[in-house]
Amino acid sequence: MTALLEIEGITKTFGGVTAVSQCSMSIREGTVVGLIGPNGAGKSSVIDLVSGFERPNEGSIRFDGREIVGKRPDQISRMGLIRTFQTPREWRDLSVIDNVRVGRSDLERDSLWRAVTTGRKLRRLEDRETDELRDLMTHYRLDTVRNQRAVGLSGGQKRLLEFARIAAARPRLTILDEPMGGVNPVLGERIGEAIRELKRNGSTVVVVEHNLPFIERTCDEVVVMDLGTVIAQGPFAELRDNKRVVDAYLGNDDE
Amino acid sequence: MLQYWTAILSEAAIFAILAMGIDMIWGWAGDFDLSAYAYFALGVYMTIVLTIGKAHSPVTYVFGWHLYYPLAVALSVVVVVAFAAVIGAIALRSLREVYFSITTLGAVWAIYYWVENFTPLFNGYNGVYGLFDPLGSGLSYNTYHYLFFAACLIILLGVYLLVSRISTSPFGRMVRAVRDDESAASVYGRNVFWAKYRTYLFGAGLAGFSGSLFAAYIGAFNPLDWKPTEIFVLYAAILVGGRGNPKGVILGSFIVYVGFVELTRYIPSPASRPELGPALRQILIGLLIILMLKFRPTGLIPERLGGDGTEGRRSWRTLFTKSPQRDAEPDVVIGALPASGVEAS
Repeated sequence: MTALLEIEGITKTFGGVTAVSQCSMSIREGTVVGLIGPNGAGKSSVIDLVSGFERPNEGSIRFDGREIVGKRPDQISRMGLIRTFQTPREWRDLSVIDNVRVGRSDLERDSLWRAVTTGRKLRRLEDRETDELRDLMTHYRLDTVRNQRAVGLSGGQKRLLEFARIAAARPRLTILDEPMGGVNPVLGERIGEAIRELKRNGSTVVVVEHNLPFIERTCDEVVVMDLGTVIAQGPFAELRDNKRVVDAYLGNDDE
Repeated sequence: MLQYWTAILSEAAIFAILAMGIDMIWGWAGDFDLSAYAYFALGVYMTIVLTIGKAHSPVTYVFGWHLYYPLAVALSVVVVVAFAAVIGAIALRSLREVYFSITTLGAVWAIYYWVENFTPLFNGYNGVYGLFDPLGSGLSYNTYHYLFFAACLIILLGVYLLVSRISTSPFGRMVRAVRDDESAASVYGRNVFWAKYRTYLFGAGLAGFSGSLFAAYIGAFNPLDWKPTEIFVLYAAILVGGRGNPKGVILGSFIVYVGFVELTRYIPSPASRPELGPALRQILIGLLIILMLKFRPTGLIPERLGGDGTEGRRSWRTLFTKSPQRDAEPDVVIGALPASGVEAS
């Protein structure tokens, strides 16, 4: 299998603080990879660097073989990478189904020129998609709220809306930043299922999460970070006994 | 009396077009722009100097051409959009919210003082005048006014159809997504600056276009006719009608222009205090904004919510229903998920 995302020796400093230091990892296509590590290990910074929200001081990031350092978030996204944030980021004053429609739509359809010249054709195109999106809503248990403002959803529904939006956008790589934050166990099961569905539908998934049992159940492989760099990568079972991993989580006075 | 009303309603129709332009920038894209009045004024000035012919001393102004009115309108809009392209490029690149507003406020005052003091441009403080009967119809004064009113209504309808078509298009939806959360929009492949910039230019173009119409209505224009602070009257109109809804913005413009700006002229002011009437008008508009924000923050006709076609609610009916609160707690969450399956985070 080839690497979909390849990070090589990236470093990022904020003022005097080094958030990411000579960090390298490689994510194979078609896998679900957990990215774990103690608080401040640099997980979120790596996501920001990969998705273009921050620019590394040095190092290279290749997505699908192409260098993406220096590209804007929207350019990287159009190559097929979608990330989430630690809190759900719905478009609050759009309806739930419109949130998903924005996920499904693309630049060509969003054109101002097309809105003026071929408005009716666009509407027909969208009407044809509505049934499919309605099924998607039902699948993510959002059918009863699909025509409401997204701001009115509960925290759990907002999480599910994120997944519906991602499913509509069909990315090649999905990076989830703490999808289990503030989620109870029952909904957690549904989110685990949603991640497996993403994989079945052809997306590679990276999950940043503190909930280790969840990572163990959901991920094929785990990348462990500490102090801004990767300290281990491999199947969860192998890392359980890795001394550096245990030290990173529990602390070690010898170091 | 009839002529008085057609004049006021013509004015309201022109300002409704301006308000729709401002609403695109603020209602759709979320940028509280304060320079739109400069685009409007520039549209008025340009249309006048492009149609009235050569300046005669001591009056001085640029161009002094004698163009066919529709051509002058088109050219004015181009000039206004070019201006907005510069200001927008500076203000929208990385400034948001109050910083964006301050930048556009600076821009409008810079333009205002420039126009007022640099006489070779638009004859400075005294302004430009002389645009009557722009299409050279040769009609009588009354007939002309009625026809102008009819033309304003037809143009307003045309602009409304265009704007609402864009509003409900994928473009309109995308711009609102950018408004609600820029980072999330860029995660879904949207260039935030470009989305806002296009909306800004389109809104500015509408402002310039409404200025061109106003030029034909008023015939003369000088810095006393446009104070940049007047834009708050337009924001009041947008708030009353419904931010983000073109239909609401038109309704709000007519309510504010007819009800508050014109009818309050009848408030008697004693001869010793001639400033009382205009001051009361400002106070009433301020009060209107406060009351709307308190009791119906989404306006009379709230922003259209794009459904899947089964929601079965038309926007005009919402005039008679309770205003949806933007920050309302969820009202249908139970039943969407098993009671145990959801927990507010």
